[in-house]
Amino acid sequence: MPDEVLRLERVRKSYDKAKPTENEVLHSIDLVLRKGEFAALIGPSGSGKSTLLNVMGLLDRPDAGKLYVQGEDTSVLDERAITKLRGHTIGFVFQYHYLLSAFTAEENVMMPLLLEHGRPDEAMREKAQALLGKVGLTPWRRSYVNNLSGGQQQRVAVARALAMNPPLLLADEPTGNLDTKSADGVFELMREVNRASGTAFLFVTHDPRLADRCERVIELVDGRIVSDGPRRG
Amino acid sequence: MKSWMPFEWIAATRFLAEGRMQTTFILIGCAIGVAVIVFLSAVLTGMQQNIIRRSLLSQAHIVIQPAEEVARPQPRGTPGGELAIVQKRAQRLLSIDQWQRIVPEVRDVPGVSVVSPVVSGPAFAIRGDANKSVSVAGIEPDDYNRIVPLPDKMVAGTWRLASTDVLVGTELAKDLGAGVGDKVRFATPGGGDVTLTITGIFDLGSRGVNERNVYVLLRTGQDLLNLPGGASTINVTVDDIWQAEVVAQAISAKVGLEADSWIRTNQQFFIALNAQTISNIVLRISVGISVALGIASVLVVSVVQKSREIGILRAMGASRRQVMNVFLIQGGIVGLVGSFLGSGIAAGALQLWQAMLKNPDGTPLFLLEFDPMLVLWAAAIATLTGLAAAVTPARRAAKLDPVVAIRA
Repeated sequence: MPDEVLRLERVRKSYDKAKPTENEVLHSIDLVLRKGEFAALIGPSGSGKSTLLNVMGLLDRPDAGKLYVQGEDTSVLDERAITKLRGHTIGFVFQYHYLLSAFTAEENVMMPLLLEHGRPDEAMREKAQALLGKVGLTPWRRSYVNNLSGGQQQRVAVARALAMNPPLLLADEPTGNLDTKSADGVFELMREVNRASGTAFLFVTHDPRLADRCERVIELVDGRIVSDGPRRG
Repeated sequence: MKSWMPFEWIAATRFLAEGRMQTTFILIGCAIGVAVIVFLSAVLTGMQQNIIRRSLLSQAHIVIQPAEEVARPQPRGTPGGELAIVQKRAQRLLSIDQWQRIVPEVRDVPGVSVVSPVVSGPAFAIRGDANKSVSVAGIEPDDYNRIVPLPDKMVAGTWRLASTDVLVGTELAKDLGAGVGDKVRFATPGGGDVTLTITGIFDLGSRGVNERNVYVLLRTGQDLLNLPGGASTINVTVDDIWQAEVVAQAISAKVGLEADSWIRTNQQFFIALNAQTISNIVLRISVGISVALGIASVLVVSVVQKSREIGILRAMGASRRQVMNVFLIQGGIVGLVGSFLGSGIAAGALQLWQAMLKNPDGTPLFLLEFDPMLVLWAAAIATLTGLAAAVTPARRAAKLDPVVAIRA
């Protein structure tokens, strides 16, 4: 389908393969994410949410099954091609921001573009400034990230994840380390970006309050999708 | 961020700047290592050159001598009746056959710079009750001065010689109680006997030489030593002192006479110099390795500290090569900057050394030359060492699995 961003077909993933402690974390997952979707991935601890996110984000390879990114079969790609595809199509936001402390907010947002093009240029800088404007951090663009608050850092991380205009943004508990107010702010920011640019969002959360505000909620229990549909209530 | 800088350089310099304390420590470590190498090399090279210069000051690089005289027993009529013992001949003072023809031939040998015929032999210097045995050298001053720079070594009088003049060393002058303008009688066992006027007193830096060597004109020496028109040796200097033996062999092959290079006549000295050179190399390598290990350990720590950031860079699309280059460049920068700092420290230490260690007369103990090429070499080698030291940490960083790095 043309608006498909990501498709998983019977994806399996185990840890400690071929060892006595082998543990299958994902059991035959089928899942499709479409352009413009805003979905929450919920489930108890140890249900395989992060593993699923890593597989979808091309950070980890499935042991079995197929993963298509924008219709492209990723099982046939080598390491280099995977890195390139990941850089172009998927943005990440993690529970911890993982910004580079040696760089300013603006430079951090430029980083994916810099990795892509090799050298910085004015267009990158302008793009980073626009993104920082979007997340409300224009006054702090020249601050080193360690001088920003937790909420601000996470906003920079969101701006960075959007730098390549990825069709999909994966977030692993992006508000997990934030107080309620900052968490709401980051959530609303993602919502706005989703509406404005059509970027598909999938974010893992433990916060039922936030999950309830999503139009699609996927629930994972013991490595299986037990429910997948529009928000409850 | 400078727009001309590629990502790897930007990240490398930022990481170094961020880890200020680590960077400072490793730069100091690298600088000290380079300083030790540069300083020791300069001192050792200076010392060796100094020793060589001093020992070659009063001797030619190559000395050509007449063929040794051998005893030739008359064959007897009875077959198998060889003599059981043939006593070696005592070597007379002989002139080199046709030395006037040989001198220009030797001059044409590649690598030869100065050729000077000398007649030399033993004599007694007699003045009043003092009677000293000396070694008389009859020279052609213009050529000979280019082998042994007598004009530079005069402490009294002049080096210019007329046929009735003689140059003596400081010790001999003292022993004879003579000064410039005084007359000294010289007598040889062969019956030579002349009275000469001291026109100059030299100091060649060695007591033995100052006590024994006297210089007269070639003609005067020939008369005194009873070798009319003769030259007992031909002294030669070469362009490259280390090639002396090769040149000596070439001369020997060309003129059919024995030519001894200073390398052959000072073999023990040579072995000592070589041992010194080898120990210097071993020292340099050891210091180099310890500097490399220092750089490597700091970078390994940096990789561990930055593993999450590296993981996220990888997740954002950084290739393994880009990550690897970031750490290789850091190693290279530490090596390069450290080497310039180290060369600076070494230059300062050498100045101090020159200022502190002096001869009794106030001149520096020996001249140390701070070769700018040495700095460039040190920079190149230190940069390569830094790069090599960074290989393991860089590969470790490049191998980081983004998932594992982020989760760690």
